[in-house]
Amino acid sequence: MTLTTGRTAGSDGIAIRRRRTPATPYLLLIPAVAALLVGLGYPVYWQIITSLQEFGLMQQFGAPPEFIGLDNYTRIFTDPEVWSVVAKSIAFCLVNALVTVGLGLGLAVLMRAVPGWVRMSMQITLLLAWATPLVAAVTVFRWLFDDRNGVVNWMFVQLGRENLDGYNWLGNVWTFFLVASLVVIWMSVPFVALSIYAGLTQVSEEVLEAARIDGAGSRQILWRIIMPLVRPVIAIVLLLQIIWDLRVFAQIRLLQDAGAPISETNLLGNYIYELGVGSQDFAGAAAVSLFVLVLTMVLSGPYVRYLMKEDAA
Amino acid sequence: MSAVLADTAAPAARTGERRPVRRRRIRPGKILLSALGLLMALVWVFPVYWMMNSAVTPDAILGADTPQLLPVSFTLTNLRSVLTDSGFLNALGMSVMVTFLTITLVLAFAFLAALAISRWRFRGRTSFILAVLFIQMLPAEGLFIAQYQMMSSLGLLNQVIGISVLYVAMLVPFTVWMLRGFVAGVPIELEEAAMVDGLSRPRAFLRITFPLLAPGLVASGVYAFLQAWNEFTTALVILPAESAQTLPIWLRSFLSASANRGINWAEVMAASTLIAVPVIVFFLFVQGRMTSGLVSGAVKG
Amino acid sequence: MKRTRLVAAAAASTITLTLALTACSSDTTDTGSEGTESEAAGEPEAADLTMWVAGGDTPDELREYLVETFEAENEGSTLTIEEQDWGDLVTKLTTALPDAENTPDVVELGNTQAPTFTNAGAFREISPELYEELGGDDLLPSFVEAGSVDGTVYALPYYFGSRYMFYRADIWSDAGLEVPTTLDEFGEAVKELRTDDMSGFALGGQDWRNGISWIFAHDGELAVKEGDEWVSTLSDENTIAGLEQWQDVYQGASNLPATDRDVAYWDFLNDTAEGGAPDAATIMAPGWARWSIGDLTENDEGEEVRDGMADADKFDIFALPGVDGGVAPVFAGGSNMAVSAQSQHPELAENLLRVIYSDEYQTMLAENGLGPANTEFTSVMETDKFGEVTVETAENSKLTPAAPGWAAVEGASVYEELFQKIAEGGDVAELAAEYDETITPMLNGQAG
Repeated sequence: MTLTTGRTAGSDGIAIRRRRTPATPYLLLIPAVAALLVGLGYPVYWQIITSLQEFGLMQQFGAPPEFIGLDNYTRIFTDPEVWSVVAKSIAFCLVNALVTVGLGLGLAVLMRAVPGWVRMSMQITLLLAWATPLVAAVTVFRWLFDDRNGVVNWMFVQLGRENLDGYNWLGNVWTFFLVASLVVIWMSVPFVALSIYAGLTQVSEEVLEAARIDGAGSRQILWRIIMPLVRPVIAIVLLLQIIWDLRVFAQIRLLQDAGAPISETNLLGNYIYELGVGSQDFAGAAAVSLFVLVLTMVLSGPYVRYLMKEDAA
Repeated sequence: MSAVLADTAAPAARTGERRPVRRRRIRPGKILLSALGLLMALVWVFPVYWMMNSAVTPDAILGADTPQLLPVSFTLTNLRSVLTDSGFLNALGMSVMVTFLTITLVLAFAFLAALAISRWRFRGRTSFILAVLFIQMLPAEGLFIAQYQMMSSLGLLNQVIGISVLYVAMLVPFTVWMLRGFVAGVPIELEEAAMVDGLSRPRAFLRITFPLLAPGLVASGVYAFLQAWNEFTTALVILPAESAQTLPIWLRSFLSASANRGINWAEVMAASTLIAVPVIVFFLFVQGRMTSGLVSGAVKG
Repeated sequence: MKRTRLVAAAAASTITLTLALTACSSDTTDTGSEGTESEAAGEPEAADLTMWVAGGDTPDELREYLVETFEAENEGSTLTIEEQDWGDLVTKLTTALPDAENTPDVVELGNTQAPTFTNAGAFREISPELYEELGGDDLLPSFVEAGSVDGTVYALPYYFGSRYMFYRADIWSDAGLEVPTTLDEFGEAVKELRTDDMSGFALGGQDWRNGISWIFAHDGELAVKEGDEWVSTLSDENTIAGLEQWQDVYQGASNLPATDRDVAYWDFLNDTAEGGAPDAATIMAPGWARWSIGDLTENDEGEEVRDGMADADKFDIFALPGVDGGVAPVFAGGSNMAVSAQSQHPELAENLLRVIYSDEYQTMLAENGLGPANTEFTSVMETDKFGEVTVETAENSKLTPAAPGWAAVEGASVYEELFQKIAEGGDVAELAAEYDETITPMLNGQAG
């Protein structure tokens, strides 16, 4: 990663000032860095220390914590439940991120192809979904999928699926994750679709015109010209979706309130929270958190390197 | 590639809206696509519609075997009973203050940092960018004890400032990331030209560069707004007093109090609607600028 | 490597910052802790006290009484009562109780959560003299035990709530059934009552709090203390007998999914919105559920409400019968009350306990249908059939084990899972052995 900074010097598209001793950028960074240190410095420091100690409820109430080195890490790495949660989280994250970006891309392309009033209604409905606060959205989905009076079950019954009358979607692990995915996707597609659409509007009409004159079909234009141009947008929204979907917490927790099998539906965030609050194993929770941080860094490593390269170019 | 796009970002975004007009032709394919677009719009709007529909329907009717798809039994009882719940207005005030303070600080801090990393190359720049990216990957769910201890020792529990400090730290990284694309997209030559015309650098910046950054600030502000308005876990721990609840916490306790007596879905949906409405209004308000703004930031990455 | 340095530097500078900020903001404390340590012996200095109640079970009238009486008896002091959500109570207790600056002075917590926090040293000792003064041996023994460590009392009982069998007397008698006298009879009756549209006995599969009554009825235990260690005893033959009978009742009489918990059963007993037959002929619920049951009527404000089971030929209650007749020992829900070890105003907090355990307040609890902490006042409840059944079941009620890790077991929803698997038809003995292994280490406070 240090390599990239090393060779930036030559090729700048945009004006970037290089001075011998620039004090200004450091001054400009002070507020942001200070905010990060104040807000996250102590919590992160606490988390690192705690992960190396025996720290439970006793310690929280004043008993001196004992330093136990990497024991917490050994414990979590040998716990099959941790690995099963990790696997579930990664699967959930990848499926949701890919579906979200795929749908978002589809909607963006669609918005380009339809008449103005259709595009307008699509944009407004996407905005409405995007603007719905998370707690409200999850609550609404609980109500839509309510086993007794939910409209989803009613629709299925109208469509002749009598066996879904009174079906408890949140009670079964698979359908629980299905509903959770629907909430997550419903909430995150608007950001992706609008971002990509905005990216598409920047593809210069002259370029498209030229392509058409050269006899390119609309499919070719889409894949050969438009896609490469919006690739950076897709790259960044995909990275963000992956980071965000790996961290889902509130959606799962609020859905679990409806009576789901908790230990089987926990994803990493929830597992950490349960470990801390439910089992009072704060040291274990801290160790898992740091592990997740490293895991995310490793998973996104190649991607980040690619982005940094783009940045330097 | 990205540099080219960024250069054209601002003007292209505005003209983009009008462009398709030029090649309007009615084709069966178009109609099919329009139908698909409308169908998608319908799918996306349905949950919001259902929330609002349920909010104005009496609870007894929601419990019936056949749901009413249209608000024919319109009533304001649910909304009224939520509004008279002592906690709602209080939580609304709290949420507005926290969100406002957070947005202001986040935008100011992130903007300065974005300026630094997009206009200068300096030692530690890459480390800063990486740190900013990676900080977002730390799960927040294990931090609550430390956050509580810190805020308690600072005497900032149950205070707007305390929770805002944590939100700012949480949101600055992504906002820096988003804004630096915008800042990089404004050619510095414009500013320098203004300086040649006799403006001082700060004035040139304020007059020329800043207005061009407005869409970027709006887009980032929207992001910060949503996050601060929705945040749930930290608020639960840092704002333990009933009088300091924010809206998400209030809605959850409203829901669980209701669950205790068999959930009154009509009131819960009315409460959800009331929480969503301020955001929707805000969104429609900034809508135009936001969509155009979204991109250039993302394009630059 | 750069990162480590960065983090270390970050941590170091934050600590400096934190110290600096603390120094200049020490005068901005929050609710209820304005007092300083300078309390003279004798009359405690006036201060603002904070009390947490859990959930909405303490009626407003009782809260007002506490505030008024406390403030009258302790001139200059004020009392703030804050209601905490049951779902987030453990999180909030964990963070707030160790914090001298912001701890609530007096807290209510679930009786099943009391052992965990008591063992961790969260509460102030109740001296033997104070214990005697507040009721001594008249206080519910099983709850006192849950709040004690090695004979020292830390948390006192607050109230208990019995569970009743609410039933549709009209439906039972139409089917020619009488109130059962043994647990077997009960099981057979509710199985007979079940139809496709109506549960004979509505019971969620995950609802172990109601389900463990079957274990207790068979003389089984969830866990026992052997020497210094707690051991989960699901595989004990009595426990298994209870679980098997529960499985039989669930499968034969309930239409609810195996994933349902302690849901709002009471609505099932009412006629449906269209006036049709109810969803269940029998439910098990706490006493206050009666106000959500009955025929629709209008209250003074013209709102539609249930009439509180006014029609005794239609809605009635009985106590769950025991295996050999009598009354089965049911799980007593309820809560404990304790003074935070970090309270800055312990004398005032103890004065508040004196109000709570006063004859007047105990009477008010009983009158509001909450089983009073002081058993002397249980008789106040006997004025109606609910009171009678409460008194009957109170003598027989049982609590969950007072193990230090109990809150962890509940927090991780282990029993919900076990009961769901049993409800789905799993082999009881196998599941019992499997979950014994999971639960035993958790009970002793070792992270699982």
